[in-house]
Amino acid sequence: MEDHARAPPIVESIPEERCRELTDTIGVWVGKSSRVLLRLVGRRATSFPGLLALRVSPRLMRRLGRQLRSCTVVTGTNGKTTTSVMLATVFRSKGPCVHNASGANLRQGLMNALITSADWRGRLRADRAVFEVDEATLPLVAADLPIDFVAVTNVFRDQLDRYGEIDTALQLIIDGIRRTRATAVLNADDPLARHIGLRCGRPTVYFGMARQLARPPEREQTRDGEACLRCGHRLRYDGYFYGQLGLYWCSHCRFARPPLDFTGLYDGTALHVTEGRSGPETYELPVRGLFNAYNALCAIAVARLNGFRPAEIAAALKRYRGPAGRMQVFATEPVSILSLIKNPAGCDSILQAICREPGPKVLCVAINDRAADGRDVSWLWDADWELVPERCGVAQCVTTGTRAEDMAVRLKYAGYPTGRIETTPDLEDGIRRALRAARALGGLPVHVLTTYTALHEAARILESLAAEAAAPERP
Amino acid sequence: MLNLYADRGNVQTLLRRCEWRGLHAHVTPVRRHDEVRLRDYHLVLIGGGSDREQALVAEALRRRRREWKAAVEDGLPVLAVCGGYQLLGEYYQLPDGTKVPGLELLDLVTTAGRPRLIGNIAIESPEVGTVVGFENHGGRTVHRHAPLGTVLRGHGNNGRDGYEGVRYRNVVGTYIHGPLLPKNPRLADFLLSLAAAYAGVAVDFPPLDDELEWAAHRAFLTRHAGVRGPR
Ligand SMILES: [Zn+2]
Repeated sequence: MEDHARAPPIVESIPEERCRELTDTIGVWVGKSSRVLLRLVGRRATSFPGLLALRVSPRLMRRLGRQLRSCTVVTGTNGKTTTSVMLATVFRSKGPCVHNASGANLRQGLMNALITSADWRGRLRADRAVFEVDEATLPLVAADLPIDFVAVTNVFRDQLDRYGEIDTALQLIIDGIRRTRATAVLNADDPLARHIGLRCGRPTVYFGMARQLARPPEREQTRDGEACLRCGHRLRYDGYFYGQLGLYWCSHCRFARPPLDFTGLYDGTALHVTEGRSGPETYELPVRGLFNAYNALCAIAVARLNGFRPAEIAAALKRYRGPAGRMQVFATEPVSILSLIKNPAGCDSILQAICREPGPKVLCVAINDRAADGRDVSWLWDADWELVPERCGVAQCVTTGTRAEDMAVRLKYAGYPTGRIETTPDLEDGIRRALRAARALGGLPVHVLTTYTALHEAARILESLAAEAAAPERP
Repeated sequence: MLNLYADRGNVQTLLRRCEWRGLHAHVTPVRRHDEVRLRDYHLVLIGGGSDREQALVAEALRRRRREWKAAVEDGLPVLAVCGGYQLLGEYYQLPDGTKVPGLELLDLVTTAGRPRLIGNIAIESPEVGTVVGFENHGGRTVHRHAPLGTVLRGHGNNGRDGYEGVRYRNVVGTYIHGPLLPKNPRLADFLLSLAAAYAGVAVDFPPLDDELEWAAHRAFLTRHAGVRGPR
């Protein structure tokens, strides 16, 4: 072993720095060629080439990263993908931008995005980057990338499952930010994100929603364990936006929602953003739902901090195409919003988001029971459809899909008036009827909820109906 | 009404159908260690859980086996679905041969088998007509009582003898969930009338507007079960 360690390096004649460069170049080559190979065999290459490249050359991320002029990472529990894709869309309006594929938010996923943007000699073809980063990955890449902004969308408690403790998740983010020289862009309405802001030791910028959007606390279920992270006393709320996001303050110490640098007022179609005393600037949103408005607000804040003008951001957001089925907006007549529902928890969160949308609306629910949906639709009875008659402001319902009739029964037993339920198994007929009802009611928005196998068909139908609406009237 | 691991949909259906007729019903969910006085109830719903949960429930309930037996013989209406259905019998035999003892209310035994019997099911019951839903069970059940119905489509008790479920006094046991009652309003009302009779209250059950329920029932028969059954 000793002998081996003392053996002269094979590439003795090449100076050390030159040798490193060579290794890095080989790393780029390995990464890029494995990408090409994977493409040839028809695989999606979002992480594996990055993993290989990191194996060959561990310093490659730093080497490629330092070519960036601006680098933003987005982390948090929910909304990382939407926020970072929105931001990449804005950045790309001024030139190429490195961005990792949705979900590829570990180290190798970031590496892969860098390799993709690099030429075969290891030169980046972009000088901006925005990365979606897993909380646990942030500390691992903080030293290798010239991160100037770390955006934290929120820290929800469902991380408990993955990291064992909320403290661990928070600590990972705090450690990550401390290893950068970045400004932290934080969700002020989230007490956990505020805690990060107090502890990370970096400059902070806070975004949050306007007070008037908050709902009085009594409608929310009591949240156990909402304790002040500073002193352990119970947090109080003057109002809630959604989940733990709200107007919080500690009854014992001075922990409270901080003053906002970017204040969002969501009106159901647009977000009006006030920066300090200037504004508001209005941004039409390509998606609906308060959770998406938060994502847009976070993206807008980072884009503004990067020197983008409101008009540039607004124009870019219009081009944003979100992941299918997350309150995706279609320019039908009247407007329709498509959401995927596949289990009780996901369905409940969509229903709650619809309840939060202002004004009356029409609901179209498409339930299929094909193999990919699950043949058994009993889960419909575990989802909280009782919200529909109680709080959602639904003026009319259409149920459709192979289980249209079961869904109608579910709504009836949820307490929705049967006289306002239409049923048709044919998806296109269902969507057309919902839009017709919405027009008859004076142009109400139509929320289309579908199970997995109906999603893409619904999207296709809505797109063609939107094209019809956009076409000039024929004689 | 007592509710042990029951399907939310079944409970909801019974409650609404009482409410729509101006009847008052009260539901008590019961956990494993809760003390249950069966005398206080006019209808018991037992649903299914995981095998492990099921064994724990069986163990807890068995301590009051005599009381259960007496109540059932006395005419206590019971709706037992899936695991709850298996629980009514003598035992559930696991693949390794271990027998998990049941409540021994019925002359019924269940043996674990492969593959699981999964899919849409429709049966014809002499008392309430066609009953439709979904079944998903590994256990094969055989018993010496009357079945709830004969299988029109699906597997039923054991996938062999063409029968599904059990009927004994005021007990209804079945593998059909989906959930069972919303789409089978005749069965729901049958249970409610048993409960009313058992409670000693003279109420009649005026028919409700069940158009949506029957539409779902018929759609199921034609589109999903491929049978043209009468309602
Ligand atoms: Zn405090």
